[in-house]
Amino acid sequence: MPSEASSGVLAKPIGKITGEFGIGIALLIEIALFSQLSPYFLTADNILNVSLQTSITAIIAVGMTFVILTAGIDLSVGALVAFSGVIATSVLKYPFPPVLAFGAALVSGLMIGALSGLFAGIFITKFRITPFIVTLALMTILRGAAYMYTDGRPIWGLPEEFSILGSRRVLDVPVPSIIMIVVYLLAYLVLHQTRFGRYVYAVGGNPEAARLSGIDTSRVILSVYVICGSLAALSGILLASRMNSGQPNAGLMYELDVIAAVVVGGTSLFGGRGSIVGTFIGAMLIGVLRNGLNLMNVGSYVQMVVLGVVILLAVLFDQLRKRVGA
Amino acid sequence: MKRFITACLIIVLSVLGCMKQQQHSASKTIGVSLLTRQHVFYKDLEEGLSTAAAKEGYELILTSGDFDLGKQSSQIEDFITRKVDAIIISPVDSRGIGPAILKANDANIPVFTADIAAQEGNVICHIASDNVAGGRLAGEYLAKILSGKGNVAVIDQPTLTSVLDRVQGFKDAIAKYPGITIVADVNGEGRRDKAIEVASDILQAHHDLNGIFGINDDSALGALDAVQQFNRKNVNIIGYDATPPAVDAIVKSTALKADVIQYPKKIGETTIGEIRQYFSGASVPKVVPVEVGIVDKEALQKASTP
Repeated sequence: MPSEASSGVLAKPIGKITGEFGIGIALLIEIALFSQLSPYFLTADNILNVSLQTSITAIIAVGMTFVILTAGIDLSVGALVAFSGVIATSVLKYPFPPVLAFGAALVSGLMIGALSGLFAGIFITKFRITPFIVTLALMTILRGAAYMYTDGRPIWGLPEEFSILGSRRVLDVPVPSIIMIVVYLLAYLVLHQTRFGRYVYAVGGNPEAARLSGIDTSRVILSVYVICGSLAALSGILLASRMNSGQPNAGLMYELDVIAAVVVGGTSLFGGRGSIVGTFIGAMLIGVLRNGLNLMNVGSYVQMVVLGVVILLAVLFDQLRKRVGA
Repeated sequence: MKRFITACLIIVLSVLGCMKQQQHSASKTIGVSLLTRQHVFYKDLEEGLSTAAAKEGYELILTSGDFDLGKQSSQIEDFITRKVDAIIISPVDSRGIGPAILKANDANIPVFTADIAAQEGNVICHIASDNVAGGRLAGEYLAKILSGKGNVAVIDQPTLTSVLDRVQGFKDAIAKYPGITIVADVNGEGRRDKAIEVASDILQAHHDLNGIFGINDDSALGALDAVQQFNRKNVNIIGYDATPPAVDAIVKSTALKADVIQYPKKIGETTIGEIRQYFSGASVPKVVPVEVGIVDKEALQKASTP
């Protein structure tokens, strides 16, 4: 298992228990608690509701997991959600035949994400600027661009079919939830079954050793930012479809929700350690928390405090785990 | 005789000339720096200012900060240099415009704010939509649709004072109907993506929900998205601002039933009215609320077919 590459033999089972397993138990406790507190919580309708709501940030969290595994960070994802959304919706407004417009909108939205990731990756690998600064700059550039492009107003009046992507259900399951599951399955396979996946862990765990063992670290880093940007764009398109409009203020502060999901899921900000399953549970933990508090009519100010405390506890957990492992 | 007539003419002409000059000095020049000249709302506000000023014989110098505080500040400095008689500002930034207003205060030029208030400096009068009245109209309309009973929710944004006023008005109106309960008041942050999320949760928690008040159109449209995505039939939504996408949704007979509408033209006219009051030496209130209205499908269709 490459996820524990840097830990000793003994640490493995302990790491497993307090890591994914621990966070999984935390999620179960949370679910049990809310199902006692609100009669509406554990209904099929609400479970699908949570999966739909969480899908947007959970999909971005997959890309963020790749980035954080290489000890990087991507703060531009929230702005990218907005920018890719307004680009895709504006392409959709061109008088193309429907199928072509749909395809062009999807491709252009995703391209924006990939290009943005490539741009960040080049600055990080070629010009050796820290990911935090590069993506912070990119965040304000993309947000500003989204406002400039739309003159601050939403793009609306889109063809009805566009809402299929975000609002249709297949066998009662919302389409974004299905896309989320597919993305997680693919990411699991890439991360745990391919050479690229092993390289991602290696680059984050010990970049020097990775380089010496012949891994093209720049290429790996470039790739994870392209993956992250593309997935943020995918989420941006799904969100635009849910809103049936391109909103330049969409995805505000999503980067924090996404990073929180990844960190709560047990991925170390120092890179090399973490898992995609953990991220999924982390995203769900935060999504369920927000939903449960809303169902119980807890005010938004209290929710912010509770969310912060949960993130702190999760990181504390992570620290303790490292100490046990050492 | 000729000489006498010439003398008379000279006297008459010079008196006329003096009178004309006097009249000229009585005419006032007003410097205006708007937030933008692009948006429909501000175009209408500008039209209100222009027509009212033309009626009073005031000369307007119309400029716009275009969302740029630096640009707006220098426009106001230019007004001060030109020694205008009054300045109207729709601040780009309520706090940041302070120093520019203080400079105008030092030059003894009266400052009026329209639509957006300033937080620093001496402003003679602030003219803006009556948000409390707008919220009240929304509440009354919703109560009417619900025949005075049901469960309603507010998609709120409690960090803005204008929104606090809207919600206060809404709650005041609903309080008159004992059959209506406000079961939830959640923060949608005034954004459509966040509003969908909180509205979805409200719909889960309250299967018997009949009404939603969105404090702006993004909140109302986000609630509409959620209601449509969960296929809920008996929820009525009231929005605020009557933006084009909201008007479209109302006309299409969706769950969005009506929208509070502001009258920017009236804000412009009222601003000139208050300046006239001030010039005439009468006392001017610190804040002048401008009336708002509510539009539903019927009203919108009537408006589009004159």
